[in-house]
Amino acid sequence: MKLYYFSEMPHHEFPDEEGDKYPSLRLEFPNRFFDREKAAANYQRYLTEYEFADQAGFDGLMINEHHSTPSCVNVGVNMTAAVLGRTTRRAKILLLGNILPIEDNPVRMAEQLAMADLISGGRVLSGFVRGVGVETWWSNTNPVHNRERFEECHDLILKCWTEPGPFRWEGRHYHFRHVNPWCLPLQKPHPPIWTPGTASPETAVWAGRRGYTYVPFLVPFEIARELFDYYRQGAAEVGRTVTADNLGFLICAVTAETKAKALEAGRHFVWRMGPTLRAPTEYFAPVGMRSRAGAQFALRARPRSLATLSYQELLDGQFIVAGTPDEVIDRFSRIQRELGVGHLLLEAQESRMDHPTTMRSIELMGAKVIPAVAAL
Amino acid sequence: MRPREETISVGGVGVHTWIGGQGDPLLVLHGAGGNRGWTRWLAQVAERFTVWAPTHPGFGRSGDADWMDGIDDLARFHLWFIDAAGLGRPHLVGHSIGGWTAAEMATMSPGSIDRLVLVAPVGLKPEKGEILDVFYYSPPQLLAMTVHDPKTVPEWDELYGRAPTPAELEIATRNREMAARLAWKPYMHNPRLAHFLPRVTNPTLIVWGREDRVVPVECGEQYRRLLPNADLTVLERCGHLPPVEQPEIFARLVLDFLGGHNRR
Repeated sequence: MKLYYFSEMPHHEFPDEEGDKYPSLRLEFPNRFFDREKAAANYQRYLTEYEFADQAGFDGLMINEHHSTPSCVNVGVNMTAAVLGRTTRRAKILLLGNILPIEDNPVRMAEQLAMADLISGGRVLSGFVRGVGVETWWSNTNPVHNRERFEECHDLILKCWTEPGPFRWEGRHYHFRHVNPWCLPLQKPHPPIWTPGTASPETAVWAGRRGYTYVPFLVPFEIARELFDYYRQGAAEVGRTVTADNLGFLICAVTAETKAKALEAGRHFVWRMGPTLRAPTEYFAPVGMRSRAGAQFALRARPRSLATLSYQELLDGQFIVAGTPDEVIDRFSRIQRELGVGHLLLEAQESRMDHPTTMRSIELMGAKVIPAVAAL
Repeated sequence: MRPREETISVGGVGVHTWIGGQGDPLLVLHGAGGNRGWTRWLAQVAERFTVWAPTHPGFGRSGDADWMDGIDDLARFHLWFIDAAGLGRPHLVGHSIGGWTAAEMATMSPGSIDRLVLVAPVGLKPEKGEILDVFYYSPPQLLAMTVHDPKTVPEWDELYGRAPTPAELEIATRNREMAARLAWKPYMHNPRLAHFLPRVTNPTLIVWGREDRVVPVECGEQYRRLLPNADLTVLERCGHLPPVEQPEIFARLVLDFLGGHNRR
């Protein structure tokens, strides 16, 4: 099983009681609380941690993108990929990912991903996501078109990578009369494609049909299994065999020399689960963004919002793993046994977890955990 | 006379329609909340007019129209509905997005309609203030902001007084989705509409609630300025739903405006 290091690059640089005054930290929390000097320092810190994760032996560096939220100020996943493509040497760069429905120019996205792949020497894993509702508001994209735009944007990017230009694209949502990108990915025919899932059976089936690596985020095991079943259903439709390499899982994880230190560090993940997910339903799921099946599945998948779970409940539910390297190896092995995944994505840095603690966790993962789980 | 319900096929879309009353045809276009059926004001107006109240495609029990992208599509559709239902040259009443639709229809084909009643229509970008982002709020929050004072709404119990059934919730979700499909961006307005409204010389009554928190009452003044033959009536202690909040007064306004007119 391969391990991936992931930081949301949060900006938790404000008094929590200020955030509590608003219906959500997303969309509504005023950006006068954005501290430019601290943000500048944080980007350096976060990139240093990524670079160290590459040196420490992580198989991949996962990056993501959000907008209008202090929970993640990585506002341009392709920019970050280009930076890491230049400053790291070995690990895959997993973009998970680009938010396709809010993209107005898939051709430019195809070019930027190709450039990141070229700069990194062919290390890009290109994740495509539907995004959460917050990004729909941020971009003012009609949520009823979310899935149609996701699929059409994907189709056009793939065509840019696999069919010689020039060609014309006149679809439902995208119209380009002269497509001929002079930047193509190093990997042939194109970088591997990944997609995450939290609740939509349709996405799992869609990914299964195409053989893309599919990764449920922060869901209970039984829900992950159910989503994997949808994935297998899609794969079976086209006669594909599903292997561990097709499946991943995402959790929060930190390790330290002692259990007490790890538990203290892991507590910081509660901010990510709680305050940053607090919001009226409409912010995360505007009308029309989810199908009826997706909405019903989401209710079952999250009978209780992550935001309402205590630290202990998050630990017990395997949403957070915090322990000594041996304990972490044990937990990761269990996840591998339970879910049969080939990729484990670790959200491994959070908000006020300090730099030395983060670096030490990366170091211990590299020295002890990664070699132990590599054979699983 | 008891109203009847029919499904009228227009361009392959089944349009669920309430029909009732007697007299010249009056076409009534509902707002984003959906077709509320045979409410009190309709019953009163139906004493003098044959009311046709279709449910927009994608709303309520009408068929899907996922191919529609904006209110101009809906306007062209309802001009077709007039032909399909054989309404001749009806009077036209539209509320909120139905009012916007009615205004668009009038700019496209002013000769297809007789008199026009626009009730708190969206469609124009307010010169002052903003149109409430109705999709940003939950339906209960929105309802509270839509009416001025629930206690003064005579049909409150019938319309909103009990928890919706699963079937009603499904329709409410469907209504919201179709409203989003039609009016998400530019949000609830057509930047070009103001350029076309001067074409509409049809006698027009604009009705607004003084306490409208969804669409600023100033938009009523904008419509009045742009339409060559329009009057604006502002109802006091009334929010965004004049036909429901003040049904007697609203019905009387409509009848007075339409009733004294010798059509042909």
